Amino acid sequence: MARAPKRPNRFLTVGSILSLVWLGGIALLAFIPNDWLPFMREADQRVRIGRNYAYGPGVDFWMGSDRLGRDVFARNIYGGRISLSVAMFSIAVGLTLGGILGLMAGYIKGKVDTVINVLLDVLLSFPALILAILVVGRLDVLEINRFWSVMMVLSLLSIAPIARIVRAQTLSLSERDFVLAARSLGASKWRILAKEILPNLVPAMTTVAFTGVAVLMVAEGGLAFLGYSVESPTSSWGKLISENRERIDTAWWATIFPSLMLFATVLAFNIIGDRFARRFDIREAAL
Amino acid sequence: MAGTGKAHLRDTDDIILRVEDLVMEFPVGRTGLKVNAVSGISFDVRRGETLGLVGESGCGKSTTGKAIMQLPRPTSGSVLFEGNELTTLEGQAMREARTRMQMIFQDPISSLNPRRKVRDIVREPLVIWKRGLPTEQLDKVDALLEEVGIDPQRAAESQPHQFSGGQCQRISIARSLVLDPSLIICDEPVSALDVSVQAQVLNLLEDLKAKHGLTLIFVAHDLAVVKNISDRVAVMYLGKMCEVAPSDVLFEAPAHHYTAVLKDSIPVPDPEIAVGKVAIEGEPPSPVLPPNGCRFHPRCPAADERCSTEEPQLREIADNHFVACHHPIVGGEAPVAVRSATSPVS
Amino acid sequence: MRYALTRIARFVFVFVIVTFLVMLATRIGSKDPIRDLAGGQVSPEVMAKVEADYPYIEKCEGALAYLPCMGKQYAAWTFDMVRGEMGYSYAQEQTVGEMFKQRGPATFWVGFWAIIIGLLIAIPVGVYSAYKRDSLFDRFMSFGSFATLSTPQLVVAVFLLYAVASRFDFFPNLWNYVAPWSSPVDHFKNFFLPSLTLGIGLGAVWSRLLRADMIMTLQSDFINLARAKGVSPNRVLWVHALRSSVLSLITSVALQLSGLVSGAVVAEQFFGVGGVGGRLVIAVQQNDILIIQAITAVVVAVVVIVNVGVDLLYAVVDPRIRQARALG
Ligand SMILES: Nc1ncnc2c1ncn2[C@@H]1O[C@H](COP(=O)(O)OP(=O)(O)OP(=O)(O)O)[C@@H](O)[C@H]1O
Ligand code: SF4
Ligand SMILES: [Mg+2]
Repeated sequence: MARAPKRPNRFLTVGSILSLVWLGGIALLAFIPNDWLPFMREADQRVRIGRNYAYGPGVDFWMGSDRLGRDVFARNIYGGRISLSVAMFSIAVGLTLGGILGLMAGYIKGKVDTVINVLLDVLLSFPALILAILVVGRLDVLEINRFWSVMMVLSLLSIAPIARIVRAQTLSLSERDFVLAARSLGASKWRILAKEILPNLVPAMTTVAFTGVAVLMVAEGGLAFLGYSVESPTSSWGKLISENRERIDTAWWATIFPSLMLFATVLAFNIIGDRFARRFDIREAAL
Repeated sequence: MAGTGKAHLRDTDDIILRVEDLVMEFPVGRTGLKVNAVSGISFDVRRGETLGLVGESGCGKSTTGKAIMQLPRPTSGSVLFEGNELTTLEGQAMREARTRMQMIFQDPISSLNPRRKVRDIVREPLVIWKRGLPTEQLDKVDALLEEVGIDPQRAAESQPHQFSGGQCQRISIARSLVLDPSLIICDEPVSALDVSVQAQVLNLLEDLKAKHGLTLIFVAHDLAVVKNISDRVAVMYLGKMCEVAPSDVLFEAPAHHYTAVLKDSIPVPDPEIAVGKVAIEGEPPSPVLPPNGCRFHPRCPAADERCSTEEPQLREIADNHFVACHHPIVGGEAPVAVRSATSPVS
Repeated sequence: MRYALTRIARFVFVFVIVTFLVMLATRIGSKDPIRDLAGGQVSPEVMAKVEADYPYIEKCEGALAYLPCMGKQYAAWTFDMVRGEMGYSYAQEQTVGEMFKQRGPATFWVGFWAIIIGLLIAIPVGVYSAYKRDSLFDRFMSFGSFATLSTPQLVVAVFLLYAVASRFDFFPNLWNYVAPWSSPVDHFKNFFLPSLTLGIGLGAVWSRLLRADMIMTLQSDFINLARAKGVSPNRVLWVHALRSSVLSLITSVALQLSGLVSGAVVAEQFFGVGGVGGRLVIAVQQNDILIIQAITAVVVAVVVIVNVGVDLLYAVVDPRIRQARALG
């Protein structure tokens, strides 16, 4: 059967370059102190031009202003700060805890594996969204800052899928001949873990980190929409979408721009994750 | 073929490795079934000898090699290596004894960690065992790399995927030599390589063997590869031993029907020789449910009633020539305790 | 058989742990579960009534007593559930059973049509992409599905709202439950957008899956045989090849179910669908313990049962897969 010649799996393609540029730009804008950026307004600064509050996109407001006269562009940038940091922090926790669990299950095997597997089964069987709003809602009662409670919940939810991936990878790596070779050379279990297994987990973990951030940003958006993310005046993209959607007929910009930001950022993370996966030939792992 | 039996074991004092009744089974999931990868084989190797281990794919050659190295520990049986019973050694003692013996794996790519520099891979054993100062270690590694024909400079900078398959196998060989082992198990070291490269790697192994005073176990699925480099050849089928003989004897006058089939499957330049021989039929049966009696009987042209019930034992049919077959091609009928009705076909 | 039993036992175990943990979660930081259950500011009479109705719902004070006490409550609750008494929501003055009867159909139809829409997208796209592999169509669709997968449901909903709902008066401003048999057109008006929101994502997932699966199938021997026998190319493609991919599609439907629940809550809320998802959000706000527990129990049960079903289906259809799964 004639096959189209396989395109080389380069990491840098038009898509991934655009994605990197986009993410770099967003991250710069979001995390640079805003005194350094003369064109940035405060996120909750109200500006009134003429008699109008909700002002369309233009020179004054690049992305328009919302019903309270706040600059949508500025709010998007600050919202991005929350969306990005929540997702990135959660995936970091998920990677650490899920990574440890997965490594233990895959490397020690036996009883440890069985116990961890049951634990993961339980975690994966939770209807994620129900658990999330329930826990965030209850943590409110304990007066825990929403920023932290959302992060806690998202970290918790990302542990199990990551652990599953790490476990599978560890299992298949520890069967590889180079691990056998290391054992036959007398390397200790710890040395094999550190020198042979861990470095080979890095590509898969990088992929998971990127696609995972994408998934968690979406999840945060859902939570924000249901009213279970950061509290006003702080905002995230999901929250911007939900607080303005009722006026989509008259002030579309206040909803559409955060939607586009969220979409483009999630897409960019996914594209980079996908490039990594292809580059290292990792099978598509659903998170 | 199924031979069990130990008639072929020698009792000289230069025996470096003696494997007896080695059994290796793997569970099949949680079904309670098991893969009988190796089912009670015995053999020995003398110091300085090369033992060829042949058999078709899946017959348990790699498993045997790994079981000797206790990777993983065999289900049962004994492995006596340089006076140590490996199957009962634990911890540090095990790790130390194991370094006297090394294995070169079938797949050159998979046997090198893709994320380390080649020179570090070869040096790793010295680091593990803290042998010598760093400079001494590097000198030794570089010397070995040159010996196997790899540029140390390049090895210091490159990862395994930047080398060809043949070069990777050379790197594996260098790594296996770095702790000065006495025995090397070569698991089909050339079967994944281009034909043109195969001979080079084989020659390299021969040279290194002479130079370092090594003993080799050379695994292959192809009789032709082992023929020239082995002193003694052992033929395996489905986890059992069929025939053991000096290389030339086995090649001139195979006694076991399976050996004959293996020999005929070697492509020969002269077509006349190949004419009229039995071709091997079908796939080998599954090692999960191996046949009774002689495990080769479903495919054997000379099989009879007895073959399907009674397992043949290894016995000496000529000087130093052992076969586990009731009706061998040469060497006469196996003596029977209780005579069964049928007589041999050929 | 033993396989089936161990599978089922494992799922029952998971079900029990998950529902128990959800029960624990509803009590995080709760000072008085009975007050929560009664719905906040209520008269002492109601409180007394709640206490009488649910004697087992207690405060459970003290670290040592906490778990056994919750265990007792869990047992009592399970017993009630098994008897079919799912509880009463004092805040909404409605039994949980009535709630499901009233709001269940809406959620069912949203999910049902979402799956149908997903399949309507996935089957033609997946099959045709596999057939014309690496064609322009395939590449376009492959990027399209990738981009769709990267689109949060929330964003899909926003675009549907902006581009469709707010431009055409056809779609109602206020959502209403209409059964398909009472007025198909009104049913469509009410359910199309929420279902489409969910269905687009499903279509993207499944078309990728189907494409990969079909590419493998199209290379297999039995397809060549069918071709050799002179079966028409269309029939080979849409009947013979597609049939063998049905199993993986079913598995994926089962796997997506849990995610579908989360998506459904968002979609219901966005379009104001009066389904179980919307009720759940209110229940969480009010910490209406019994409603939360009942809804999670039903959701987890459905997900678990479907998964057991798929597993057993596999075991029946193809014993080799059972072995492979056991091996893996
Ligand atoms: N870890 C394992 N678990 C289960 N079965 C195994 C395992 N390792 C090997 N086997 C099975 O044991 C049998 C012997 O395998 P082995 O790799 O030793 O064969 P081989 O003779 O080396 O074949 P090849 O020429 O293909 O390398 C095979 O049927 C194989 O499937
Ligand atoms: S003749 Fe019998 S014992 Fe000999 S190889 Fe054939 S089947 Fe085995
Ligand atoms: Mg092998």
